[in-house]
Amino acid sequence: MIKHHPTFELLKSFVDGELPASLSAGIAIHADMCPTCQHQIAQLTEQVAEANFEFEETFLDRFIVDEGEDIADMPAISFEQMIDNITSTDELVEPEVKTPKQVTFNEQSYVLPTALNNMQFSKTANIGKLSRARIQLDEDEIHTSLLHIAPGGGVPEHTHKGFELTLLLEGSFDDENGHYEKGDFIMLSGDHQHHPVSTEGCLCYTVANDALHFTQGINKLLNPIGSFIY
Amino acid sequence: MQTNLLCTKTNAKSIKMSNEIDHAQLCLKLNAVAQKRDKQAFTVLFKFFAPKILRIARGKFPNEAQANEVVQETMSNVWRKAHLFNADKGAATTWVYTVMRNVTFDMLRKIKGNKEDNLSDDIWPIAESMVSEDDCYDDHLAQDNLLNVIDSLPEAQREVVKGFYFMEMSQEQLAIKLNLPLGTIKSRLRLALAKLKVQLGEDHD
Repeated sequence: MIKHHPTFELLKSFVDGELPASLSAGIAIHADMCPTCQHQIAQLTEQVAEANFEFEETFLDRFIVDEGEDIADMPAISFEQMIDNITSTDELVEPEVKTPKQVTFNEQSYVLPTALNNMQFSKTANIGKLSRARIQLDEDEIHTSLLHIAPGGGVPEHTHKGFELTLLLEGSFDDENGHYEKGDFIMLSGDHQHHPVSTEGCLCYTVANDALHFTQGINKLLNPIGSFIY
Repeated sequence: MQTNLLCTKTNAKSIKMSNEIDHAQLCLKLNAVAQKRDKQAFTVLFKFFAPKILRIARGKFPNEAQANEVVQETMSNVWRKAHLFNADKGAATTWVYTVMRNVTFDMLRKIKGNKEDNLSDDIWPIAESMVSEDDCYDDHLAQDNLLNVIDSLPEAQREVVKGFYFMEMSQEQLAIKLNLPLGTIKSRLRLALAKLKVQLGEDHD
């Protein structure tokens, strides 16, 4: 059962369209597996829509004093012309038929969530039981990847300076704080340290905005490659 | 199809402050566009939505031409995708909002990252963006509707929360509009959020 969900603030920003593509896709994938969040998103969307489109006549009018111009009459944009333009074509847009894509890690293939359908993947890199395929979203310091952990593998104990989202697409893993299953949306900040281990193996969608920082013993030697994993 | 029977009202009634949006009418017009390619109906929709979309877009895009493009793209999608609207699944306002949000998201991504990958329809699929009202989840607090919780806030806090979260005004803008010191806005927002968290149950972390 899914036990870890995005916070209310994240869901709200998601509905507003204000999160980067990486996190938006993460929430969309989670919501596909989580009826509770899906329902909350639907309600929020309805409410935000209502507020957006009643805006003008009601709430704002109580405060606006400098309204000398009617927005519709401004020369920069001719609404009449726009209507004619738009309605001059009778072409309908049919929704794209979404064919699920597959990825293969360790000779095992996985069906990808449709939210990732049009994203570009880099070649898979491997270190021990970890395999990672970077997703090319070009969001500066934010790195998005598919991370596969083969059975018995794990990520050495680490912390991060920014945030780290791990969304379990398949399989399960454990860390100091508990057990995680398919659909769990685990958002950690720099205050957390953890050491995930996957007995049965797992595939995760990960988003992080800084390199991992390994904290224990010999693994500190891994720090130069911390950016490899997430 | 019996279009007028299919027009559901939105549940989001409690945000309304005075003027009601005529949901049934918007829904009828959208169905008329979908089924009859009714230009007159489209004009009614356009006059209702376009000025609001323009105002919202101006808050997100400093460049006037880009704000106009959001209006053009959104309304053009309304014309060409109206047949994907399903009145069973929610209000016309919700559907148009989704279209506008997706257009805005793709345009911002294009401007910021120079990426034309148009990911929005994968993230928020237009055809299935609304959850049917039949989908009930009795076992969860979410059922108790965020808005009921917001409405239980004292008036002063409620106003700030609605302005900030639903109308996307900044704290500074709210301070000016409500003629209150910025510090008051901040503390009201903080108090309100603390209450909301308790009521909604921060079981997420």
